[in-house]
Amino acid sequence: MSIPGSWFLVVAAMLFTVGAIGLLVRRNVLVMFMCVELMLNAVNLTFVTFARMLHDVGGQAAVFFVLVVAAAEVVVGLGIIVAIFRRRAGATADDLHMLKG
Amino acid sequence: MAQYLGIFVMLVLSTLFALVSWGMSRFAASQRPTAAKEAPFECGIVPAFEPVERFPVRFYLVAMIFIIFDIEVVFLYPWAVIFHQLGRFGLVEMLVFALAVVVAFAYLVSNGALEWGPAKRLRRVESPLVRTTASTVRKVPSSERAA
Amino acid sequence: MTPLLSLLVAQVPALRLPQVDYFALLPEIVMAGMAFVTLGARSLTRRGLPPAVWTLVTMATGLASGTLAVLLGRRVETHGAFAAVDGALAVDGFSVLFLVLVSAAVVLFALAAHPWIEREGEDGAELLSLGMLSASGAMFMAAANDLLVIFLGLEILSIALYVLAALNRRRAASGEAAIKYFVLGAFSSAIFLYGIALTYGATGSTNLARIGTYLAANVSTHGGLLLAGLALLLVGLGFKVAAVPFHTWTPDVYQGSPSPVTGFMAAVAKAGGFAALVRILFAAMPTLRLDWQPVLYALAVLSLVVGAILAVVQRDVKRMLAYSSISHAGFILVGVVAASAAGAASVGYYLLTYTFLIMGSFAVVTVVGGPADAHQDLEDYRGLARRQPLLALGFAILLVAQAGVPFTTGFLAKFYVLTAVIAQGGYVLAVIAMLAAVAVAFFYLRLVLVMYGWAGAGAGAGAGAVGPVGDADAAGAGEVVLPAGTTSLAGVGAGGGGEPDLAVLGGGGGLALATATSTGVEQAISGEGLVAAPEGLAAGDGDPVPFPDATKVVLALCVAFTVVFGIWPAPVVDFARHATLLFGLR
Repeated sequence: MSIPGSWFLVVAAMLFTVGAIGLLVRRNVLVMFMCVELMLNAVNLTFVTFARMLHDVGGQAAVFFVLVVAAAEVVVGLGIIVAIFRRRAGATADDLHMLKG
Repeated sequence: MAQYLGIFVMLVLSTLFALVSWGMSRFAASQRPTAAKEAPFECGIVPAFEPVERFPVRFYLVAMIFIIFDIEVVFLYPWAVIFHQLGRFGLVEMLVFALAVVVAFAYLVSNGALEWGPAKRLRRVESPLVRTTASTVRKVPSSERAA
Repeated sequence: MTPLLSLLVAQVPALRLPQVDYFALLPEIVMAGMAFVTLGARSLTRRGLPPAVWTLVTMATGLASGTLAVLLGRRVETHGAFAAVDGALAVDGFSVLFLVLVSAAVVLFALAAHPWIEREGEDGAELLSLGMLSASGAMFMAAANDLLVIFLGLEILSIALYVLAALNRRRAASGEAAIKYFVLGAFSSAIFLYGIALTYGATGSTNLARIGTYLAANVSTHGGLLLAGLALLLVGLGFKVAAVPFHTWTPDVYQGSPSPVTGFMAAVAKAGGFAALVRILFAAMPTLRLDWQPVLYALAVLSLVVGAILAVVQRDVKRMLAYSSISHAGFILVGVVAASAAGAASVGYYLLTYTFLIMGSFAVVTVVGGPADAHQDLEDYRGLARRQPLLALGFAILLVAQAGVPFTTGFLAKFYVLTAVIAQGGYVLAVIAMLAAVAVAFFYLRLVLVMYGWAGAGAGAGAGAVGPVGDADAAGAGEVVLPAGTTSLAGVGAGGGGEPDLAVLGGGGGLALATATSTGVEQAISGEGLVAAPEGLAAGDGDPVPFPDATKVVLALCVAFTVVFGIWPAPVVDFARHATLLFGLR
């Protein structure tokens, strides 16, 4: 009753792809953040799976760092969003069209 | 399969807890709603549209601060497990780490991120930009107002 | 849960403390530590100190960490390269070069940002401590000998830069630039991280030296996994250094960010990204050279061609500099493609000189921009030579150096990159790079001519045509200044003007365009004397431009570096060459 490691890798790859596609397709900035989180957590799953397969703690240690970095990234992103969208109605990427050329 | 028993029990217990606490508030409290009580404003005027929800930025701020400090603790757990083997080296390293977090916290406090009362000391920013009718009017596009 | 815990517990008896060599870490410690000290001091002083205090503190930090890096370099010279902190950091000539580079960038940033802070009334402590933090991230990236450390450095660098880009709260464009930078930066970071995970899975380590030995000793059984990891690493770093298929964020972010921050971003993010790229490819994956070389070849050609063409059709000076930075990235990639010690040395030298060129240029852009960085159009530079002769002269020298005119470091940088790639037999790439250099020189010369009011006609055509970026002014410039080049330039405008971000030009077509443009430019140069209209022909002066002391200092430093070491290149070239003789830990 043990699931082979490659299955986890496939799930992680699928999660990563879902996140990447979501980031490219969705227009709501908050949803885009969630997609980034999904991508990072897919990487975490990959790291843990490889750590298990290789019998090496290094991969598990990496997860800690990724978690913290992801949190810091999201906080900064939310801070920027709050700063921008305080005066606007919705958080849509299509509204960001001042810079062009 | 036996190794998953704990998770299963946990799942059942947490579901039960959620259901019970939701049901208790539902059945134990006395509820006598009237139309006036359910209206967004109890001032006698029938509201024309749903009121705009207001999210104070402070909530976001506190949530964001919480995330950061919450996640820093992640490093404390592995450190605590091997604290004795690390000896003084570990203690010093963790103190440095804590110092960095404290500096960030001091910055937040000094910026008034944790002040919940009425804004007492808003920083006056000397704006070099001259505000004229032209610039101010342009900042509020008429199309947005109308919508 | 239980197996994971047992895995953790099983490691405990074998625990050994890493040997932390604090001296090797000192430049980074000073930089990051002073960022925290600045932030702490700013929090504890109630009234707030004058901005000059923070500027001086930041400059002192940059100088201190640069000095420590040089001392570290001495030790590397006598004792040889070594790995510190249990193999997580590499201390060698290469890392020392980048430590010095980033420290210099911090000093220049403090100076360039000072007038901006005073003008905009922003909080200097916040800006500068974020700058120092970001610089420490770049330093960690350059010195890292472990993929995870590279990732952490990359994130420290980028997250601080996202905030810096958003720092101008009164300007909506600043926030917009920040959110664009953030979303694409987070995306590329995630891709880079997935590349790390796959490489880790294929080789069993994140340590670059160990990956290198593993790949040298074993024929990989996980070929696909490793190649996928390598590809994702390249994509992630490609975003950071703004190489062409991944460059779309660059113009918007450069235009929207506060001007001094843009200069810092261009210099430091590029340095960190290329340092990591060179170290990963040269130290860990030299055995896969046949796999990564063609990819980088393509990236280099695309960056050179697209950067050059789109720079020419821009009207906003910050956007022009953004596209020119893409073209510079293409040049640096040429050095990476060479995949030799000389290539690595030329990359280091290029980045070092580029730091001074771009930071000086953006110091000028900061001053000319005026309140809220509003004046960024080409027209705002008209007649700058009359309003501020010294400022215009300094800017002109920096621009001409970026174009690669002899007796400047900009020329030498391009020269060393090209000799490195030619030594490896990359003649075609060298020719493409030279043609692209000529094409992009047109843009620098146009800006210089506008500043000096010569060829006022050329840009004067644009004065009336306020239309969108592109065809109009490129064609206009062609008509008046270079009769023979008209068609070629108009063609360029038509090709690239409409949708710069989506314009993917085929290699052959792009090459033809570049050639056409180059002939036009040569005529422009030769015909310069003929067209030179008397000054004052152009339209009325813009606003008076101030020239604060801090800008004088930063401009003098950058110009002096560019010209002095352009004429007497030995010290800097030796420094860069030294960096690679010691490069590589295995």
